[in-house]
Amino acid sequence: MSTSSVPTGLEPGSFRDPESRVFYAGDDVFRALSADGLSDFEALEATGLLDGERVVPTERADGGADAAGLLVHEPAAILRHERIPFVSYPYEWTFSMLKDASLLQLDLLLAALEHDMVLKDSTPYNVQFKGARPTFVDVGSFERLRQGEPWVGYRQFCMLYLYPLLLQSAKGVPFQPWLRGSIDGITPTQMRGLMSFRDRFRKGVFTNVFLHARLEARYADRPQQVKDEVKRVFKKELFVANVRKMRKLVQRLEWSPPEGVWTAYGERNSYTDDDARRKDEFVRDVAKSRDWKLVWDIGANNGRYSRIAAEGAKTVVAVDADQGPVELLYRDLRDEGNEQILPLTMNLADPSPGLGWRGLERKSMPDRGKPDLVLALALVHHVAISANVPVREFIGWLAWLGSALVIEFPTREDPMVKQLLAPKRDGLHPDYELDYFERTLKEAFEVERSERLESGTRVLYYARPKR
Amino acid sequence: MTTVLAYLDPGSGSMILQIIAGGLAAVAVTAKLYWNRLLRFLRIKKDDPETVEADRPRSSDAA
Repeated sequence: MSTSSVPTGLEPGSFRDPESRVFYAGDDVFRALSADGLSDFEALEATGLLDGERVVPTERADGGADAAGLLVHEPAAILRHERIPFVSYPYEWTFSMLKDASLLQLDLLLAALEHDMVLKDSTPYNVQFKGARPTFVDVGSFERLRQGEPWVGYRQFCMLYLYPLLLQSAKGVPFQPWLRGSIDGITPTQMRGLMSFRDRFRKGVFTNVFLHARLEARYADRPQQVKDEVKRVFKKELFVANVRKMRKLVQRLEWSPPEGVWTAYGERNSYTDDDARRKDEFVRDVAKSRDWKLVWDIGANNGRYSRIAAEGAKTVVAVDADQGPVELLYRDLRDEGNEQILPLTMNLADPSPGLGWRGLERKSMPDRGKPDLVLALALVHHVAISANVPVREFIGWLAWLGSALVIEFPTREDPMVKQLLAPKRDGLHPDYELDYFERTLKEAFEVERSERLESGTRVLYYARPKR
Repeated sequence: MTTVLAYLDPGSGSMILQIIAGGLAAVAVTAKLYWNRLLRFLRIKKDDPETVEADRPRSSDAA
């Protein structure tokens, strides 16, 4: 990673707001505040909003770390934040995760307005998930409300929250590729292009999409005039009314996975055969053999093994390419109040890259913290056969992560493997053989334990990296 | 620099929209208010429990 020109410890994604900047020292997360930023923070402290669970735990830490040169002027104060176990981005969240993040954003804005404060922006990157609980992390986003100021973050809210949710809810188009494709989200003009004539009659669409795009085009060349006029007529009551209306609109947006996903998800706990029981035990033994800090369950599906891993781990990240089961898993974890398992949707064969300015504003998954244990159950055949990633490449990547590994290899006789191979030409994937897989695995890992399941078509391995 | 607004560009059209949307909301609320009043006047709709509640202390004051 080419971080050479970013000072060490500085969070490369925190530079847009000149009043505050995030940096790391040791295991701690700090924020340097300008004089203005400090006044806003003191006003925020007085509101009591920091005392609840909605905002990341924060304390004054003046002198706790060296922040010289981080801001244009000398920092006026330093804050220390509680560390989020694993950072995630909106393009890895499911529909309900983005929706819950947006409701948190709006509720905090409404609460702030009661104290004559506002959130100066509306970006979902200011929300992080602790397990299935959204937390607002950008304390520097709160500021005192200025007379006649409209909802500055309204446009950003539309681009990064409302439009993506609307796209998936109204059109059935997953929003994740759109958010990953553009760090600022979908513009009003682009969104209008995606809506049909009939969509105009959907609640909120005419105003927030069509009218918005039209007004944007009309007033683009008169910013000063508009600003002065708005300042003259805008009232706080109007601000509050607009935010309330937006909350109502977002609250109504729904999306649910197709029926097949529900059926498969519902069967998650009804495995009764011997294979499933032994696989559970295998994973449980490894999970409990050490105090794992961070486990990645890749190809997590309904989260069955993430839950088992959580018995012996501090944090589990449950990743699956299919948004459906992850959405249902999130809903369950949310209802349980789970703060340990973080469900995310991402295709491993096309994982989240570094994005934004210098490609560093948003990080790839390994750059956010490598795991100490990876579960790759019922996955290698999808990666090798469906995504055409050579077996050696896949194992090489796992070895590069440097973590312990529980991996399952379904042989060519396995019904699922047969199904994946069926449409392909005979003789393709010559590397997808048990012997070859085992040999390759042993080159990079020390296999500590392996077990062939009763049915004979699936083999489990527990391996630790060499070196 | 006199920063009336924050670091984020709120967008001119987006600001105008908030006034219009707010205006529409105000009109809608006013219209609904008068509509309910009309319905009550015509005895099509009963008084809201809140209105009854709010009326009570006033009558006891008078007593």
